[in-house]
Amino acid sequence: MTNPSHRLRRALAPIGAVAALSLLAACSSGGGATTDSGSQDMTSARDTLIFAIKEDPTCIDPQQTTLTTSLNIGRQVVDSLVDQNAETGEIVPWLASEYTANDELTSFDFTLRDGVTFSDGSALTSDTVKANFDALFALGRTASLASQYLAGYTDTTVVDDTHFTVNFSAPNVVFLQGASTMTLGIVAGASATASPEERCTTGVIGSGPFTFTSYTPNDSVVISAREGYGWPSELRQHTGDALVKTIEFPVITENGNRTGGLESGEYDIIQDVPYIDAARFESGDFQLFSKANTGVPNGLIPNLKHSSVVADPAVRKAIQLATDREEIRDLTGAPGSEAASSALTSSTTGFVSQADALATDVDAAAKGLEAAGWKLGSDGIREKNGQKLTFTVTAFYAQDVLEVAQMQLKKVGIDMQINITDAGGFFGAISSGDYDFLAAALTRTDPDALRTVFSQAAASKWAIIDDPALESVLIEQSTLNDTEARMALVAEAQKLIIENGDFIPLLETVQLHGASSAIQGFEFDSASRIQLYDVRATS
Amino acid sequence: MKPNNDSRAKRALRFIGPRLFQFVFVIWAAYTLTFLLLHLLPGDPLIAALSVKGGDATPTDPDELRELRARYGLDGSMWDQYVTNGLAALRGDLGVSIATGQNVGDMIARALPNTAIVAILALVIGVTVSMVITYWAFVARRSWLRNSLLQIPPLGVAIPAFFSGLVLVSVFAYGLGLLPSSGSRNPLSPILPAVTLAMPVGAIFFQVFSAAVLEARASSYVFTAIAKGVSLPLLFFRHVLRNALLPSITILGLLIGYLAGGTAVVESVFSRDGIGRLTVDAVLARDGNVVQGVVLVVAVVYSVVNLLVDLSYGLIDPRIRPAGRRRVRAAHDAAVVAS
Repeated sequence: MTNPSHRLRRALAPIGAVAALSLLAACSSGGGATTDSGSQDMTSARDTLIFAIKEDPTCIDPQQTTLTTSLNIGRQVVDSLVDQNAETGEIVPWLASEYTANDELTSFDFTLRDGVTFSDGSALTSDTVKANFDALFALGRTASLASQYLAGYTDTTVVDDTHFTVNFSAPNVVFLQGASTMTLGIVAGASATASPEERCTTGVIGSGPFTFTSYTPNDSVVISAREGYGWPSELRQHTGDALVKTIEFPVITENGNRTGGLESGEYDIIQDVPYIDAARFESGDFQLFSKANTGVPNGLIPNLKHSSVVADPAVRKAIQLATDREEIRDLTGAPGSEAASSALTSSTTGFVSQADALATDVDAAAKGLEAAGWKLGSDGIREKNGQKLTFTVTAFYAQDVLEVAQMQLKKVGIDMQINITDAGGFFGAISSGDYDFLAAALTRTDPDALRTVFSQAAASKWAIIDDPALESVLIEQSTLNDTEARMALVAEAQKLIIENGDFIPLLETVQLHGASSAIQGFEFDSASRIQLYDVRATS
Repeated sequence: MKPNNDSRAKRALRFIGPRLFQFVFVIWAAYTLTFLLLHLLPGDPLIAALSVKGGDATPTDPDELRELRARYGLDGSMWDQYVTNGLAALRGDLGVSIATGQNVGDMIARALPNTAIVAILALVIGVTVSMVITYWAFVARRSWLRNSLLQIPPLGVAIPAFFSGLVLVSVFAYGLGLLPSSGSRNPLSPILPAVTLAMPVGAIFFQVFSAAVLEARASSYVFTAIAKGVSLPLLFFRHVLRNALLPSITILGLLIGYLAGGTAVVESVFSRDGIGRLTVDAVLARDGNVVQGVVLVVAVVYSVVNLLVDLSYGLIDPRIRPAGRRRVRAAHDAAVVAS
């Protein structure tokens, strides 16, 4: 008789292998986030650490928010049913000691570990989990990340206090990995029934190693260690209470204030070191932690229905060949990071590099355009039948990335116009379908991010493409419990997307944080968010 | 007795009435202008505000958006929204921020003290320093010294706050470690932002104040006083100051508007919570209710301060008081008759 959780773990092992390889490649620098705990001192020389964050978390409920800043803090307060090894991609027990999915991926059985309590003293039971998922699903798009992890949720069947089953009306391939994130972190019954607005401003009661002490919007968040914590996942370096008593997160929006404050010792850790400032922190007094965001890298996402220029496959192929991702990385990316090389980032489970197909070749790009009838005009811009080879890219961040690409494309006679708008303009354009290309990244833990961006059936409607082969692969991978078969499809999807010019990758966005050299135990989780349970200061 | 009382009340009303009308008009105009501007901006305010919380998972489905629009009261005609929001604001209800889901009144109440402390401190520093410099210039016996002193404050206007702020942070926070560089957690944190803001504010005040003082210096009553042997310091405090105060108080009232804009820069440079940054964030997120709320509150503060300034004229200069004006006219007539 096999333990169901072990069966699942075995099934997930190949993901681990792929992820480990990709991570090895990704960790050429700054990968020192995870430190070997073997003989280390597991006490902190200081009780309070100051962690400067770059923006107001706006809503501190980890279940509702999509802001990385807020998710990073929420992670410390709530535990999840399962945890995921950031290096191997393996799912391991956390609040649930055992878990298994049916072959159709429509029902997931869990067994809770004993003795877990929330910080208000209430015990973790199957009913609490049911209350969590029911309330979260009812929130709908107000909790936009959670609603994607819980897509098709019907109900949770409670067997007894520690056994329950989560049911879906359709296969849900992202649920188990989603269950490892803070978005599906479990809150106490009192929080599950509180109003969404109240949870945003006063926070939630979790079973995690820290509790919310205060949140002053636009000013700071303070969390304090909880006494009697005893259920970290096996991925953590120690057991028992968190190693520091208090972590303060002042909201320091100005980049120069954060980097200057780290240098002067005002802050112990800072979020988002600007890439250009990274060199300042490479001395022995400081350390940098970096990890590529998981999901789809920043790149050009086409709308074939809006522009006949973009609809020409020869044009999209030429854009792929004429852009130099190494140069884009060197000029605008984090030092030591990977150049984008697929429709997934190198840190995402199931990533397969398409670097060969994407190798920069300006001559081939020009030749392809000539063959398709795009002739160089007198102004250096190609044209065909009186139609200029020009299109507009709509984006709301990373203008520098687009400017480098614009410069590169100009060399082969492609005129790329950049329309930098605000988030409202960007999502408004998606809503009305009024764009030639979008330039954006999509951060998700699971390779199913591909479906969110490229499937024509997805609600998000980012890429408007005509690729039936890809569509069926994307849909099929989302129904498979057999990880090996699924990852083969994910690899196939990445190959198709690049082959058909459905996407032009530009840059992998890297989470780059800085700390004084006294800080230890700072770790990224599988979604490039932060774990502070083991964090401590040496004297 | 009675008719006299009556006429006094009438006189007071005639004095205060137009000013009260002006007060109400400024607030109504501010509300209407912001409302129009917000609605004339291109783009969808709902999506802009939702994306603050939604990130790359912001909803874009038209049906869903229609539903949300109804929920946030953004679905009626412009006129409906104008009237409904205006009436609600009159009741003190500024609505809910779409971006953060928080009550706008609460957000402003939270940010206002942070801004007020910086603004008041900046005013105090700016006004004190300009008075001191003007005094030195007034008593200076050598004209080159007076002229040099008078050239210092214009520097304050010439150097932009984002530059002077960074220099101050580099020296006093990162260099000497005396003061916190940013945030509002430390009780000493308002000092550097206030000094930064005091430079332009003080300089503008200085221009008006010093001009008034130097003009007085050249006037006949000062000449008479000097001839009678009144010492310069006594002359400054007893006679010149009061005369120079009138234009200076006027400029103080106008500076409140400048401070509201100036704090936006200073609060960004020093990563402080406050009205300025709240406004910048709200404008970027197209968070109409918050922008509307902030503009209304600032308009009220501005109008109240200017109302007080108007009323204070009477205290400083008896000629402006209705009763005083009559008395001045009577004295003038008497003098004419006597001559």
